[in-house]
Amino acid sequence: MYHLGRKVREKLANSDDPKYRPILDLAWDYPTEGPHEEPDAEAVLREIGGWDENDNALSSYSELKDDGSTACGCWIYCGCYKDEVNQPARRKPWTEQNWVAPEWGWVWPANRHILYNRASADPEGKPWSEEKKYIWWDEQKEEWVGYDNADFVPGVAPNYVPPDGARAEEAIRGDEAFILQADGKAWLYVPVGLTDGPFPTHYEPHESPFENPLYAQRANPARQRFPRPYNPYNPSDGDLGAEVFPYVFTTYRLTEHHTAGGMSRTVPHLSELQPEMFCEVSPELAEQRGLENGGWATIITSRAAIEARVIVTDRLVPLKVQDRIVHQVGLPYHWGSKGVVTGDSANDLLGLVLDPNVHIAEYKASTCDIRPGRRPRGHALVELVEDYRRRADIHNGGGRS
Amino acid sequence: MSEPPQNIIPGSGWTDAYNIEGIETPETRPVIPLGQKTYEENQPRMGFFTDTTVCIGCKACEVACKEWNNVPATLMEFTGNSYDNTGELGADSWRHVAFIEQRKPIKVQQEAGVMAPATEGDGDFRWLMSSDVCKHCTNAPCLDVCPTGSLFRTEFGTVVVQEDVCNGCGYCVPACPFGVLDQREGDGRVWKCTLCYDRMKDGLEPACAQACPTDSIQFGPLDELREKANGRLDMLHEAGVDDARL
Repeated sequence: MYHLGRKVREKLANSDDPKYRPILDLAWDYPTEGPHEEPDAEAVLREIGGWDENDNALSSYSELKDDGSTACGCWIYCGCYKDEVNQPARRKPWTEQNWVAPEWGWVWPANRHILYNRASADPEGKPWSEEKKYIWWDEQKEEWVGYDNADFVPGVAPNYVPPDGARAEEAIRGDEAFILQADGKAWLYVPVGLTDGPFPTHYEPHESPFENPLYAQRANPARQRFPRPYNPYNPSDGDLGAEVFPYVFTTYRLTEHHTAGGMSRTVPHLSELQPEMFCEVSPELAEQRGLENGGWATIITSRAAIEARVIVTDRLVPLKVQDRIVHQVGLPYHWGSKGVVTGDSANDLLGLVLDPNVHIAEYKASTCDIRPGRRPRGHALVELVEDYRRRADIHNGGGRS
Repeated sequence: MSEPPQNIIPGSGWTDAYNIEGIETPETRPVIPLGQKTYEENQPRMGFFTDTTVCIGCKACEVACKEWNNVPATLMEFTGNSYDNTGELGADSWRHVAFIEQRKPIKVQQEAGVMAPATEGDGDFRWLMSSDVCKHCTNAPCLDVCPTGSLFRTEFGTVVVQEDVCNGCGYCVPACPFGVLDQREGDGRVWKCTLCYDRMKDGLEPACAQACPTDSIQFGPLDELREKANGRLDMLHEAGVDDARL
């Protein structure tokens, strides 16, 4: 890329056409090194780190000015060539510095190892705990000190209250640690944006054979559902027809394939290592349903039925939940209809349910049935799934809860 | 090794491996012996130490080996043998990581209370990722039975098949006590691990060892590896893994 740019500029050097000015005015003058005249990586790093009008390397993004007197490749990396030293290349052993090891390499921004570290001190600027102290306000020096670089405006005391009309960082109080938010607050609870949260809790998946042991509310009430004929849901615990899908399944990956396999199923050296779609079951479930290691099984939900080879393994353990035993079916999801190896897709089994904040599908846990043998083909396959839908009363609103 | 003869006589046990391009004169070019049955320790002997206790079963070694050595993919069927569909060592699989499912506790997890089995004994499970490869034996039976001299002992002490000499007689296949050697289907010749002879000549470690993310496959002079392996064994015994062995 560097030499392409250099050659283009050489060809245009004698042109006075104004349309080439942007290319000719580019700073494109890295020193080169080695047999291939590669641009000097340190020079590139220094440019990213930034300099002032006297060509001195900047030490922090706070030195950047909006009057054109400074230049910097990326503000968060500003200062990575501080004191004309390749800061990321530093290798001072931990035995020769404090435990945060600020002189081992370099972290953005401004070599701060923990962001918002003002929060390690209480509103008065004292460490919350002597044992875990990290950054604190030094009354004598009138600055923030500690093991790390403070992620706070230097010299702003804990009791600072912004005057009326203050703007930008000057409008953030001395006891508000979250300086990248307009009001300096953490935004755990917000008036807009998040539709649930912020703290973790437990809900059962949309399709589950169990009640929620924590609340009467079984699944997340804010989840997005799309109950319609082409996206039916399996009935859950307590619903009519729940017993039609008595097992739980989860989907996961194998080392050899990448996501749904679109790329890795075209690579013979990867495909040969995992050539066929399979399911994993415990010896107990295999006995219950007549499944044989190395044989075939059909896995069914109210959406689809897929076939897979069977691995019977002790790794899949029947779970004892709420005084009942539930069996698990494990499904890698790497197969599809194209490639040097093909197979049924586990994702066909899943219904569409989304989380309310980022709208990511709840795709890792659901309920199913499993039976021995390959799945039927053609219309017989549709009939099989339809039979399950009838038995689970899905056409009369089953599974809509 | 005795002084090489002035002239190379067919059947004398001496041959000239550097005459391929005819660049050097017979007086100056070095001569290496063919048919040398045991290894003479005139330079460090190289080998692998495969530490199965740190193998994570990623099979990067198998893929790296095939990529580097142009070993064809064989789109076999699903084996039903845990996650291992390679099966065994052979003409098209020079490295093999077997997945052996064992009903044994994983000591560290058990002691840390990480595993909480639903019923007694359910948590006792572990995978032994058993990584296997040609041993490049000190007294290699494949070398002894090879009638063409295709199998030879390299200057690194390793045992290599020369594919342009092998006539596919297959004598070495039953001779190998470890089931390493096999004839390639549709080709007839025997193919196996070369310990990446070409890479070693350029001072590189074999492809599998380089690809290994956990250093489960270590490459180096055999003496050093033996020392390392004994040290590792002591470490494991001390940690209470009583059945660790070399």
